[in-house]
Amino acid sequence: MNKLAIITAFLGSVKNRYMTYQGDRTLKEKFQMASKVDGIDGLELCYPADFEDLKKLKELLKQYNFGVSAINFRSRRTGKWWRGSFTSESLSERQEFIDEVRRAMDAAVELDCYRITTCPLNDGSDYLFEMNYIKAYDYAAETFSAACAHNTNVRVCIEYKESDPRTRCLFGNAGETASFCQWMGAENLGVTFDVGHALYAGERPAQSAVLLAKAKRLFYVHLNDNDGRWDWDMLPGAYHMWEFIEMFYYLRQLGYNDDWYGFDVFPKEIDTVDTFKAVVALTRKLEALTDRIDRKKMEKLLNERNPSKTMPYLYSLI
Amino acid sequence: MRNWRFAVNSGFLGKRRDRFTEYQPDRTLEEKFKLTRQIEGIEGIELKYPLDLKDIPLAKRLLDDTGLICPAVNVDIKDAAYFCYGALSARSAEARNRAISMLQESMDIAAELGAGLVTTCPLADGYDYPFQVDYTSAWGRFIESVKEVVSYRNDIKLALEFQPHEPHAKIMLSNVGKVLHVCAEVGLPNLGANLDVGHSFAAGESPAESAALLARKGRLFYIHTNDNTGEGGDWDMISGTVHFWHWLELLFTLDRVGYEGWFGGDVTSKHIGPAEAFDMNTRMIQRMVKFLKRAGPGEIDRLLQKDGNIAETFDYLSQCLIRGV
Repeated sequence: MNKLAIITAFLGSVKNRYMTYQGDRTLKEKFQMASKVDGIDGLELCYPADFEDLKKLKELLKQYNFGVSAINFRSRRTGKWWRGSFTSESLSERQEFIDEVRRAMDAAVELDCYRITTCPLNDGSDYLFEMNYIKAYDYAAETFSAACAHNTNVRVCIEYKESDPRTRCLFGNAGETASFCQWMGAENLGVTFDVGHALYAGERPAQSAVLLAKAKRLFYVHLNDNDGRWDWDMLPGAYHMWEFIEMFYYLRQLGYNDDWYGFDVFPKEIDTVDTFKAVVALTRKLEALTDRIDRKKMEKLLNERNPSKTMPYLYSLI
Repeated sequence: MRNWRFAVNSGFLGKRRDRFTEYQPDRTLEEKFKLTRQIEGIEGIELKYPLDLKDIPLAKRLLDDTGLICPAVNVDIKDAAYFCYGALSARSAEARNRAISMLQESMDIAAELGAGLVTTCPLADGYDYPFQVDYTSAWGRFIESVKEVVSYRNDIKLALEFQPHEPHAKIMLSNVGKVLHVCAEVGLPNLGANLDVGHSFAAGESPAESAALLARKGRLFYIHTNDNTGEGGDWDMISGTVHFWHWLELLFTLDRVGYEGWFGGDVTSKHIGPAEAFDMNTRMIQRMVKFLKRAGPGEIDRLLQKDGNIAETFDYLSQCLIRGV
């Protein structure tokens, strides 16, 4: 069974364009919050925010008996890397990105975690004729290649997203990201598959998970839901119950069974602890529903490709 | 073609942020006026309430000193401290009354500043999940609250700005049809719409059609100009940079329906400064207007009156646009 982690950024104040929800919280308070959620096994830590004091961080992890699912490297920062980090036109900014990723990889190893993930949100463009795509992909290949070579035991994951804050991010969907990882070539470069981002990009999550696994790039999974129009980071299954079940069905088959699910769910006006309690309950419930699917029967149904039989079968399980 | 007047929305002149990043420094009201004064073609400044209007005499003095006009007071009724569970539609009478009073106060301020219009985008009135809101009673409260606001004084108009989503996954007042529904339910002539062009694209509309619908009922009070990618994100981009033909259609339609209001600029500046962003937004619209003048609204209108016109219309328009091809 996969273990469950909360991304620490979602345990403090969360923001959108108009509002700030919840309060700022210290790292210790975030640990305390997460510990109140039964069923949470660990945290996805944010770099650099959570790494001001590595010794203290280690103590907290030990004290709360939390594992680390991944280190989330922030590739966008207010006040710098304005025009992208790993695709920046500035050589020194790209070098700075490489240096920082290397430090984050070292910090991950210190915590016995061999996975860093980054969502390259600001590396993209707003307007047409704003970004030279040819150069942008070259820069991305150079920088990620340098980062991946630093320690091939650490897996580096790109979490694709179609847009926000750019009207178009450079890595917008599963296909683009898998393709980039493959032609770039480093075996420790792969994908953080965020289900909400997949839905926002118009994908079928199960299909994308299979594609990424076939490309040997399905490195990590984030769970959340939305209405397909924006990345709302909602409770899993609130909109796409069957999509989650179909995806869990395939993840088991693909062998993503003894790993982590990271949660990025937005606790707006609802209490943070209550939000993640619901997240855990819904995730385990969706998994349980998935387990009710008889694999032999489903294989037969999939061979027949007859939805008039498959859909009633699925609904007979609930 | 008419010559419309241009204003900037002061909300875009200070610090901006999205979920991930902050852009531009905070600016004082004086700095916002100074900045606006420098932008060619801008005659007005849409002021935010409460942020810009804590000191009314100062706002009045700045308007006098700069010669700028305030075409609308833009009221912010989404502060989570009060409107966490809605404003105009809130179950709590306290929250509803607060939103209503803020809008009524703004009507008085608008009168004092010589602006005939108050505009608000009711973004707190929305929801994220199914089974979160009782739509029947929430809509009832929304309409009653709006009625109470516009009944307060009939010499100031209220323009409701629709938006399909953000910060909630669903905003109640999400499209042009719902605005017209509210206007019909309330039944008072000083209630209408602020048609934000980008919100209309985000709602999957053709803004020209939305403008025509609103104008038919005498409800088109104000326009926010901008553009976006049309996939749902309200990116507040420079007008015409994405939906060039739709923007031309909108301007043509606004001329035909006799829109005499302002164009309020609602454009984010991100990396370029606000002056440059608003300057380009204004020039883009002015050039599109110029193009329509050249093409001749009469000729476009003649083509529009024919069924099966699309090949002929685009042949004509593209020839006007791209000469010598």
